[in-house]
Amino acid sequence: MTAVLSAEGTGTPPVLPDSRRAGRSRRPRPARSRAGLLPYLLLVPALAALGAGLGYPMVRLVVMSTQEFGLRQQFGAPAPYVGLDNFAEIFGDPYFWDVLRRSLVFCALNVVLTLVLGTLVAQLLARLGTVMRTGLSVALLFAWATPALTATIVWQWIFDARYGVVNWLLTRLGGDFEGHSWLSQPLSFFFVGTLIVVWMGVPFVAFTLYAGMTQIPNEVMEAAAIDGAGAWARFRDVTWPALKPLFIVLAALSTVWDLRVFTQIFVLQQAGGITRETNTLGVYAYRTSAGNDFGLGAAIALVMVGITLLATLFHLRQMFRQEEV
Amino acid sequence: MKTKKVAAILLAAVLALAACGSDDDEGAGTDEGGGASLEAPPADTEATLRVWLNGPDTPDEMIDMAKETFKEQYPDVTVEVERQEWDGIVDRLTNVLPTEDSPDIVEMGNTQAQAFEAAGALVDLSSARDELGGDDLVDSLVEAGTYDGSFYGVPYYGGARIVVYRKDLFEASGLSIPTTMDEFVAAGKKLQADNAATPNFSGIYFPGRNWQATLSFIWDAGGDIAVNEDGEWVGELDSPESVAGLETVQDIMLNANQAPADTDDAEDFLAFCNGEVGMLMGPGWKMGQITGEDGCPGKYDAVLGAFPLPGSDGEVAPSFLGGSNLGISAESQNPGLALAFLKVLTDNPYQTAFAENGLIPVRKSLLGEVQGDEAAEAQAEAAQITRFVPSSENWAEVESGTILHDMGAAIAGGADVQEEATRANDAVVAILNGN
Repeated sequence: MTAVLSAEGTGTPPVLPDSRRAGRSRRPRPARSRAGLLPYLLLVPALAALGAGLGYPMVRLVVMSTQEFGLRQQFGAPAPYVGLDNFAEIFGDPYFWDVLRRSLVFCALNVVLTLVLGTLVAQLLARLGTVMRTGLSVALLFAWATPALTATIVWQWIFDARYGVVNWLLTRLGGDFEGHSWLSQPLSFFFVGTLIVVWMGVPFVAFTLYAGMTQIPNEVMEAAAIDGAGAWARFRDVTWPALKPLFIVLAALSTVWDLRVFTQIFVLQQAGGITRETNTLGVYAYRTSAGNDFGLGAAIALVMVGITLLATLFHLRQMFRQEEV
Repeated sequence: MKTKKVAAILLAAVLALAACGSDDDEGAGTDEGGGASLEAPPADTEATLRVWLNGPDTPDEMIDMAKETFKEQYPDVTVEVERQEWDGIVDRLTNVLPTEDSPDIVEMGNTQAQAFEAAGALVDLSSARDELGGDDLVDSLVEAGTYDGSFYGVPYYGGARIVVYRKDLFEASGLSIPTTMDEFVAAGKKLQADNAATPNFSGIYFPGRNWQATLSFIWDAGGDIAVNEDGEWVGELDSPESVAGLETVQDIMLNANQAPADTDDAEDFLAFCNGEVGMLMGPGWKMGQITGEDGCPGKYDAVLGAFPLPGSDGEVAPSFLGGSNLGISAESQNPGLALAFLKVLTDNPYQTAFAENGLIPVRKSLLGEVQGDEAAEAQAEAAQITRFVPSSENWAEVESGTILHDMGAAIAGGADVQEEATRANDAVVAILNGN
């Protein structure tokens, strides 16, 4: 059973479990050699656009991370080359490691929460009647379509210490939350941050997984139920293997986004809290640059790029391993 | 192997594109100030002049008046005035000034001007100094606008800090205007106790990030931020005097205040309009903001009053001299026109209007004109003893690095004052000395 379904997401024809014993190769030979250079040439315009739009800033970033670039250089003074000094400075700074640790924990937490909740919402979508499903979809779409800045400002008002709805509600329910500040302690601050980031991330995950779930033929699910599999067993043995490739892609994307998170944290910091204790990598890189040390900021940004590349490579490896099963 | 060859070609193409793109950027800033001179252009010039003014400080009527005056000289020039938020202005100016999109005239806080002057972002106005007011200009504001002997930033207006209070609450508690710092703190606590029934009430509204107000207490106690000894900045924030001042601040924040520890004073007028404030400390235009259309016009107009923050010795407490300077961007295409507009803004009619609106004009000859309401009088008194932040091109970085903000927020949250002061002190000194 599992073998048939694991091929769903990859487009290769389903393989029978005893193909290995029959000695046949598992995949048809690639037709690449016959097409020649054409596929690559077709990619050039897109790559050129990407190169100009993304490549140039990347190159500037790498160059700037090896320079001492301050306010004067913004206005035309030449920038002295300092090699890897900027990197030495950040790696030797204990505050940087604090920020890094904080960002990684925040990212891990958000990715896990987004994926778990997204999966649950997708399951919900699959089981609802048409009217309710449309209603839920519309709600999810609104959450997804709201710009990050707008959403963060509204959430910040909801959690406002003096005039926010949450404090009002909790006080009505009997708690002592009059004037309680949600942003002044780092843990509470990141609780609100997580809430916003997960709220914005779940719709995409939910819709994608729901689409994946609709690909599973009903007969397979019915057969599993007839065989006596309970709901959890059906999920684990039927749904999950079908969704796995999708899941890995979503995990990779979520990791990249949640590590790079900027808007939500930055805007929340404006509203309250102690900046020093709530900086994540993206915000820290910005603040260092805004503090007129663009070289150092560029170095921090490059570290962030490095980490996201590693994470992406890891996920890609998972995906390729998936395909070989 | 074929893949590798193709990949190498593509990579080379990308890098080549990147290299092509990088030419023009380096050149932009090295031109000498837009190329044109400061000569007044002919009266029939057609152009658009872009001016950035910050915050709600300049009243709309004054902007209209300036535009009309300027139109008489240059009927074919359109002056576009854009309002920017004070928050984050340094970042915005850093990003826009070196580009072609740069506005012609920008307003900078007097604590921020030095950084831009040092970086070469502004046109040298030394030759036009006399026409802009010369020796009649207030000295400390001229100082903020001067770097390395050259004059870049024209003083725009000055502002001292005052205390705005509710006369009816004072009467109800039997209080009169405090004349010493101790009386001030005691009055705040009495108001807090007498108005405990009002939710979120603050006797003295003191949000943690209000560093300009905090400075008055540090200076009043005999401390300071940092002093320059032979070119090195030596930190004073952790000195016993500064810490004593900060402890007074913490006393108020914890015992006479319910403003959120980690916000700034940008929205204090909202709390005031909600009836949650007995006294608040702010710039001279704060009263106008409360009674203006953004606040609550008509609600508290009759019971609003102002007085200067009293010092421990019975005189006024040293107050932070706020204010702005105007500069012409080095990338401006119309520096001559911009200079002509600057002359309108520093001229007697416009500056007198500032005085009538409760702000401190930048011409010494007009200082006596500051009249009208209590806010103006309180300011004039407070302006007698004013101090400034360390006069360094790196100060703007201290502000954008939120060091004093974080220190204030921590102290308001009840943290150990000496510890926070030392931490902030080390950070400030490191930045001022260029590390």
